[in-house]
Amino acid sequence: MYRRFLALLFISLFLLPLATAQEESNTWEVSNSLAWEHNFESGFISTSPIFTGELILVRTSGNGEPAVTAFGVNGEMVWHHFNNASTNNDMSPLLHVSAGEGPCGTWQEMVLVGWSDGQIQALNPSNGDLIWSIQSEVRGWGVTGELALDGEFVLVPTRQGLGKYCLADGQEQWWTQTNLAWRNGVAVTETGYFLGDEYGKLWHVDRAGSATGYALQLGKIRHAPLVTDAGLVIHAQAAQESTVAVVNAANGLVTQQFTAGPSPAVPTSRGQFVVTGDSSSIRIFQCTSVCEPVDEVPFHTNGEMNWFENGMLLLPSNIPESKWGLFSFDGLDNLSYTELDIGLYGYGTSSAMQYVHDGTTYTAFGNDQSLLRVFSGYKAEETSLVDEFDWGVQGLVFILFILIGSSTVLFLNGKFDWFLRTSSLFILIIFILLLPNLSSQWSKTVDEQFPVEAIPEQWNEQWPDTWMGTQIVIIELNGEEHAIGGIVGHSDVYSLTMDACNELDFEVASEPTELGYYIKSIHGVEANGWEFFVDGSKGIVSADNSDIQATSIVRWTPV
Amino acid sequence: MFQAMGVHGPTLSPLAGLLLDVVLLASAFLLLAKPTKRPIYDSLFMITLVLSVSLLRVVMQPLPNVQPVTVAALLVGAQLGARRGAAFAVLVAMISNFFIGDGWWTVFQAAGWASIAFAGSRLHLVSSSGLNLGRACMASLVAAFWFDFIVSFSIINGTFGLSEFIIYLGHGLPFDFLHAIGNLTFMVWLGTWFYNILEEEPTLEEIEFTVVNSHGIDG
Repeated sequence: MYRRFLALLFISLFLLPLATAQEESNTWEVSNSLAWEHNFESGFISTSPIFTGELILVRTSGNGEPAVTAFGVNGEMVWHHFNNASTNNDMSPLLHVSAGEGPCGTWQEMVLVGWSDGQIQALNPSNGDLIWSIQSEVRGWGVTGELALDGEFVLVPTRQGLGKYCLADGQEQWWTQTNLAWRNGVAVTETGYFLGDEYGKLWHVDRAGSATGYALQLGKIRHAPLVTDAGLVIHAQAAQESTVAVVNAANGLVTQQFTAGPSPAVPTSRGQFVVTGDSSSIRIFQCTSVCEPVDEVPFHTNGEMNWFENGMLLLPSNIPESKWGLFSFDGLDNLSYTELDIGLYGYGTSSAMQYVHDGTTYTAFGNDQSLLRVFSGYKAEETSLVDEFDWGVQGLVFILFILIGSSTVLFLNGKFDWFLRTSSLFILIIFILLLPNLSSQWSKTVDEQFPVEAIPEQWNEQWPDTWMGTQIVIIELNGEEHAIGGIVGHSDVYSLTMDACNELDFEVASEPTELGYYIKSIHGVEANGWEFFVDGSKGIVSADNSDIQATSIVRWTPV
Repeated sequence: MFQAMGVHGPTLSPLAGLLLDVVLLASAFLLLAKPTKRPIYDSLFMITLVLSVSLLRVVMQPLPNVQPVTVAALLVGAQLGARRGAAFAVLVAMISNFFIGDGWWTVFQAAGWASIAFAGSRLHLVSSSGLNLGRACMASLVAAFWFDFIVSFSIINGTFGLSEFIIYLGHGLPFDFLHAIGNLTFMVWLGTWFYNILEEEPTLEEIEFTVVNSHGIDG
């Protein structure tokens, strides 16, 4: 009896990883096929494409492509609008505005584009012609956050403030100073506008332009606050983690706080549900009179999140070689996740976009590799019933079941030698499968629990002021230091280094290993390998597993 | 303890690398330089053993920190003695690293496996009835952590403090556990078989000596 109980316990314990590791069937991949793609060759797709009804507009950033490009529904390029004055990292979402009129004038259909050089441009969506353009303040960058419409006006969060402009001609109504900010979208409410800053202040600006700041002291606010029945939902970024907070819009008091992972994404909402993301997981909250956590799924995303009409979220995973994530919410308490292979891998922060044309649903994806891929959903009669069968995975699962079954039978029969053999092999296979994620999570925990004291990297007086408060990379090459700064938004050393080398025009050779990315050479220099330091601390794990802060200085040294 | 991807130990120049290989090879030959009754048979046996285990290590390289050499060193030490066990460890480390990647760490790997072979010769893993599998399994589990600990010293190059070293060890714990589970699996599946392979066939002289000796006792 005792032995049978142990056998049952053994089976239950060891079937647990199999049950959790079982892959869900991916119906999206079966019911969608690639319609067309466009390779921009350089730069990255920094924000979600938009659909104007006839054209797909895509924003690209980076050294080569600070532009907005329009494509027809079949992928033909229609127009291309450059801004060579861009200071780069243009990630302010494009805003499509329908034609209308108001007390300040009449305006035609337009697309509003906020640029990092402070320009706010209104473009004709059918041909890309400039309708009007205004210049806002610049301090390193200009506009990086999400614009918002309020009647006949557009609200633009600039680098250190908020401006209100007439849609008809771009005439400035007022501009109010707040604080230094980045990617800080603005939310429109009945009482005015809310936006955050890099110092953790939530600002309320009334419709006349009078600003009031509330020091939440939870971390940087890098998104437009979400308006819910429970209050304003903020996902604030701190050094090691983040906080999802509910704030009373009337007095700026924090009423609820939930601890979350590092480097938050831009949260999104539908009805009474709010979805947040970060480097550790996707969380869903139900916000009625208060916000309650509903479900949580491990995932790594740091950019935009778009929640589609059909309840799906298609999210880029912001880590090397990663695939996208498809999330479905049942409307009650279950958020399910499926890995999505759409041929775009690795870093990405721009959300997917869906549009319907001729009764077919299209989904457009873009990422940091400057590749745009548009998929079309099959119409009902075209749906293929072909189901891919992965022999490798199924074979492994079969072997694991054989091993667990044999272990139990052998244990019950008292054949302990053979029980030890089958069970040890079972545990070994499971451990090997778990190791990449396990070691990565373990390393993060060790780093958090035992931070290494180091002499921090010193600010160099010769560096430009615009680098202050940003991420900086120093690369030692042939006895010389090559530094590049003013970089923002990266959450790990690898991503930052690739961006920095792109800016410096250095080629990086790296190779993926089970433990992460190994840098083989930088600018052709292999040496005996490369090692890195983050804020003076020597890197202990791979570059893509080494988290960095918003103001980290990373130094690469050849060995 | 192989988690580090941005961390390197001291770098060896080609001359230093050559010297290191010469020293390792010389120590292996010194350890083997003991007169035996069957020099050709023993040499061929040792060469085959070293090559096959080296090949196994190279083949299993894609599996992170699954190290068949650890179990082999333990059993070779137990069955053939500390000297031949240590020589086996040094040669396997050198030959397999020739394919996998040679460097400063080879010394520490050779030292780690040689110390395990030495431990194997002293832990009474073999009794008159054969391999004590329970004891051998325990030894293989401990050997994993010991080997990884020894190899971790290869990371020290003057810029690494004690606290950083301890944190480095901490980072590697999942890999240490994998090494231990791998060792256990090898031991329970292949330990007895490998032990039987290593069991020396008695020479005609030994048989004669045994027979005469037993007759003498009887007489």
